Amino acid sequence: MSKTTAVISKFYKEYTSKTPKKLKIIDAYLFYIVLTGIVQFGYCLLVGTFPFNSFLSGFISCVSSFVLAVCLRLQVNPENKNQFHGISPERGFADFIFAHVILHLVIMNFIG
Amino acid sequence: MLKINTKTGLSSLIIFTVLLLAWVAGFSSRLFAVIRFESIIHEFDPWFNYRATAYMVENGFYKFLNWFDERAWYPLGRIVGGTVYPGLMITSGSIHYILHLLNIDIHIRDICVFLAPVFSGLTAISTYLLTKELWSAGAGLFAACFIAIVPGYISRSVAGSYDNEGIAIFALQFTYFLWLKSVKTGSIFWACMTALSYFYMVSAWGGYVFIINLIPLHVFVLLLMGRYSNRLFTSYTTFYILGLLLSMQIPFVGFQPIRTSEHMAASGVFALIIAVAALKYLQTMLSKSEFKSLFIVGALVAAAVVFLAVVVLTYAGYIAPWSGRFYSLWDTGYAKIHIPIIASVSEHQPTTWFSFFFDLHVLVTTFPAGLWYCIKNINDERVFVVLYALSAVYFAGVMVRLMLTLTPVVCMLSGVAFSVLLDLFLREEDTHRSGDSDVDDEQTTSSNRRLYDKAGRVPKMKHEQVRESDGIGANIRSIIIVVMLLLLMLFAVHCTWVTSNAYSSPSIVLASYGNDGSRQILDDFREAYYWLSQNTDDNARVMSWWDYGYQIAGMANRTTLVDNNTWNNSHIALVGKAMSSNESAAYDIMTSLDVDYVLVIFGGVIGYSGDDINKFLWMVRIAEGEHPKDIREGDYFTEHGEFRVDSEGSPTLLNCLMYKLSYYRFGELKLDYRSPSGFDRTRGAVIGNKDFTLTYLEEAYTTEHWLVRIYRVKKPHEFNRPRIPFSNRVVKSQSFISKKNTKRKKGTIKNKPVIVKGKKLLKQA
Amino acid sequence: MLKLIIIAFLFTNFHTKTTNGAIINKNVERVIDLSTQLVKISSAITLENTGKDAESKYIITLEPNSIRNLSFISAKDSYKEELKVTETKNELGQVFSVKLNHPLAASRTSTINVEFVLTNSLVPYPSSIVQKDKQLVRYFGNHYFYSPYLTTKQTTSVIVNTRSIENYSKLKPVSQSDSSITYGPYNDVAALTVDPMIVHFENNAPFLSVTRLERLIEVSHWGNIAVEENIDILHTGAKLKGSFSRYDYQRDTSNNHHSIKSYKTILPAAAHSVYYRDSNGNISTSQVRARKDWIELELRPRYPLFGGWRSSYMLGYSVPSYQYLYKGVNNQYALRMRLIDNVFDDMHVEYLETSVVLPVGVTNVKLSTPYEVERLSDSIAYKYLDTKGRPIIRFAKRNLVEQHIQDLEITYEWQPLLLLHEPVLLSIALYLLFIVVIIYVRLDFSISKPEHVKTQ
Repeated sequence: MSKTTAVISKFYKEYTSKTPKKLKIIDAYLFYIVLTGIVQFGYCLLVGTFPFNSFLSGFISCVSSFVLAVCLRLQVNPENKNQFHGISPERGFADFIFAHVILHLVIMNFIG
Repeated sequence: MLKINTKTGLSSLIIFTVLLLAWVAGFSSRLFAVIRFESIIHEFDPWFNYRATAYMVENGFYKFLNWFDERAWYPLGRIVGGTVYPGLMITSGSIHYILHLLNIDIHIRDICVFLAPVFSGLTAISTYLLTKELWSAGAGLFAACFIAIVPGYISRSVAGSYDNEGIAIFALQFTYFLWLKSVKTGSIFWACMTALSYFYMVSAWGGYVFIINLIPLHVFVLLLMGRYSNRLFTSYTTFYILGLLLSMQIPFVGFQPIRTSEHMAASGVFALIIAVAALKYLQTMLSKSEFKSLFIVGALVAAAVVFLAVVVLTYAGYIAPWSGRFYSLWDTGYAKIHIPIIASVSEHQPTTWFSFFFDLHVLVTTFPAGLWYCIKNINDERVFVVLYALSAVYFAGVMVRLMLTLTPVVCMLSGVAFSVLLDLFLREEDTHRSGDSDVDDEQTTSSNRRLYDKAGRVPKMKHEQVRESDGIGANIRSIIIVVMLLLLMLFAVHCTWVTSNAYSSPSIVLASYGNDGSRQILDDFREAYYWLSQNTDDNARVMSWWDYGYQIAGMANRTTLVDNNTWNNSHIALVGKAMSSNESAAYDIMTSLDVDYVLVIFGGVIGYSGDDINKFLWMVRIAEGEHPKDIREGDYFTEHGEFRVDSEGSPTLLNCLMYKLSYYRFGELKLDYRSPSGFDRTRGAVIGNKDFTLTYLEEAYTTEHWLVRIYRVKKPHEFNRPRIPFSNRVVKSQSFISKKNTKRKKGTIKNKPVIVKGKKLLKQA
Repeated sequence: MLKLIIIAFLFTNFHTKTTNGAIINKNVERVIDLSTQLVKISSAITLENTGKDAESKYIITLEPNSIRNLSFISAKDSYKEELKVTETKNELGQVFSVKLNHPLAASRTSTINVEFVLTNSLVPYPSSIVQKDKQLVRYFGNHYFYSPYLTTKQTTSVIVNTRSIENYSKLKPVSQSDSSITYGPYNDVAALTVDPMIVHFENNAPFLSVTRLERLIEVSHWGNIAVEENIDILHTGAKLKGSFSRYDYQRDTSNNHHSIKSYKTILPAAAHSVYYRDSNGNISTSQVRARKDWIELELRPRYPLFGGWRSSYMLGYSVPSYQYLYKGVNNQYALRMRLIDNVFDDMHVEYLETSVVLPVGVTNVKLSTPYEVERLSDSIAYKYLDTKGRPIIRFAKRNLVEQHIQDLEITYEWQPLLLLHEPVLLSIALYLLFIVVIIYVRLDFSISKPEHVKTQ
């Protein structure tokens, strides 16, 4: 167990030192989304999932925002540059916006 | 400013021309039915789609979504908006809308008729794009040409066959193309487009389940092969989450994507890939040993959580087990035992070898070659196509209907095979034209063989190798090319032949050919339906076997009891019971269902084999499934276990309603001078029960060739009740037979007290 | 019946006022043709002017119970020249006054031929029959020629075209020959005398009514006139009782049956691209035969029609416009086409609605019809890329028969330049499309480039 905590502390150190600032912003956003998701899930456990589609759309929008942000993070990360050939950070961000437009249009339709 | 390269210009011109020609060829080879007969909707299901489209065009989209059809499934009705895949109707409805904006007033029927041929062109283009992503533009052009004319696809997309599959194959191919594109680039944009295309597919066809299982499978296999990349992560997660959300927008699909087992694989892979991504991320940060310890803890926790979640959800009933149709994909015998209604449809039977060859011809043999090439030099996309091919082959073997999903991949891989071969031999000719070709024939053949094999194994180097070895003579090359061209030509000929002979019959108009080659059109179906539409009451209810439900609704515009949307098995069984009981028992059922007319299809006069007597055993089986006390399949066979309608047939059969309605007054009819009266041409026998009258029904109409017979159910005051012998004139005191047996232990209360809400139940003395 | 006679006598008191008593019918020869579903009465009337002044007006009228069935009336003089018939109302009710071409001088005689066509006047009796029965109909008429004038001598012959006459009223002298009954001669019958005549006989002629006929004529200056007719038909004979048996129907090969298997429609000789279909598609059982002056179309409904059965179909064809469209001065055009065309011989159309779609941009439209019609409000149709609509001239009429097949005339003004409207529109659209494609191809690089530039 102690080993695990040591690993985690090392990980934290690595993270703070190595990660560029841009990515940290995205990570903060990710953290916020995770919190929102947890709140929603807790709410549904406490109150119930009655308008099921509303719950679903809320929860899925959380998940998808998270996923999309992770994708954006991967694309923006300079370490992954060789993997994403021809996708500049700007292009990645434009795609991110595009995906969000679709996502929110659908969510609005679905939330009822 | 910008110079357009002449070479790219030329090649894009060639690509454009070839695709255009493929489109034109595909379109025109689907027009046999229109030219031979007319612009008309074919078969059964398309009639419903047409009716729904016409309704949508007339009443608008929102009314269509809320459409409750009280003319079907009398007295239950059917919620149409929530039980159809609306993609087809929306597609043709929007085409109609756009054309009308331009004041081109084309009838919606014509749009429906020509929709599938037009979409076949789009399918060709998307197949080209997909194959191009996969291999090369040349292979893509081959594949596009193949898919344009291959019978396996034409069978579902001839003009007039207005069915979901017509547009779904396009959506399928296009989704796969976009998926490969997004896997290749890792772009969110392409993944979004994949999700949108998937949405279109979901709205169009139930076969979308194939996509939502194949793509996760692809991802899973890539993970297993250690081919994880961040591109894969971006494309899959984006696609999955958007696709999930979009697919739930279709009312018919609803919450299925998160509740049924068919969709669970996709979410499992979604969780998996996130886990893998997280681990990979940690891996970049940590050293190996540290990572290991974390990995073990993490993996154990994750596994436990996932397992518990699935168990709990299944137990709590959130996740539905697999549906029957799905089971029948794994166990081919399943449907026959448990769901006769699925087994009774001919297109749900296992495929025969003959139909593989019939539908794909030479492609069947070249397709493994393409598959081999793909496996040989594998990359991310080719893994996909290999999986696609293998799964499609399996499914096509299980059900004739799923030949359709096999066809595109066969075309693609054959395109690859042909393109590789032609590459090999055509390029050679160019380089060797100047070189000497005085080589012994034997040598050439042997070297050719060797080279051929080698080329198969290491195709990347094939050109260099061939060039080096100088082995192939011009003659051999030209022979091989000629042979290949011959094969292609034979393929084209076969396709045209199959299309014109097997797949271009509207099936509601029959054609027979006389001895002198003259063509006679048997239009009995429309004759009968039109008679119904003009000469019966607007609210008349017509009972027929479910095959004809959509046609009656579409052409005769009358209320039906059951139709091709076989959602209510017990209702169908009730109709089956009425058909297989004797007249008076059937009359009770018919009056309880308010039936006004009964329609049967009878092919005995012209020798039409798809008539109701030949389908009759299915009716009996389906009825027996629900009413085992009243109907037993064994009663309809002779002692030797034969199903026959002549005088040796079982008396139950010879007195059931279906028999009587089919053969009423047929016993008097002499078809020609040689055969005796009452000779049934379809079954080649003289019917057993010739002289009978109908008490409760009367013949209302019979078409010219007796193909459709319509009977009117008499009202109770219209017939003389059959005399009951005095000895039977006692009220039967039913001797109580316990229905309990080992299977059924639930008891029922006889004379259940009626509970009046809000009132105290008075004690009755 | 007695009542009618009393009424008739009441009228005789009036008749001297309303009609000119100076004229008498010297001789009337009446032929009542009952061999089809219509009742065609043609009367040859010899008039004599017993007064002192010349007369140029002659009044025709019909029995009160048959006037509502009257569909068509015409009068000709002895040189077969059409006489003008105008409908008026007076104390007798609806009467028709004929203007004689040459005034009839005192104590001179002249002959005119009057023709009536009545519909719905043969009543099936019994009103419903089983499949193998014969169809019997009854005709209720008048033994005497109904006229506001004194008739000196008259004979009537009733043609039934069958030997099986069940029954007929016998007002002597009467004689029955092969297929006709002859009444008369009766002498000196007072004006407006009614004596009911009943003939009950077998009639297997097709009893087919067009309950609604919508005729749509589309004029195009590209050289084509498209005609489309939506027709609802009903078998108005004795209703079918009980079941229809195909077996019996197939065995009965005689042509003489009350059911209707097929009928012939006559189209103009220049008609081409004919189609015959209904809501379920093409009806495959029709044959086109080109005759010398017309095209004969043998139409078979999808099913044989029995009494009370209905069917409906759509028949369309095209004719070249040069035969029907005439050009005047100053871009004036005149369209002369049939207001209604033949559906079948001895047809009876209950309701006709004709619409004429004129080309885009016509002005100053004038409609003239050979007889009175009910003009409906004009509307506008949009076809093939129209930006401006095409005016539709619509009108309707009830109760028509074959004799109503006459030409209508529509005159309008129109600029021939408008013909180029749609091709120009189309080419502009294509031109724009190509330009967009060209621009798109040229700009293709410039869209993605800035992003690359930015990254560096």
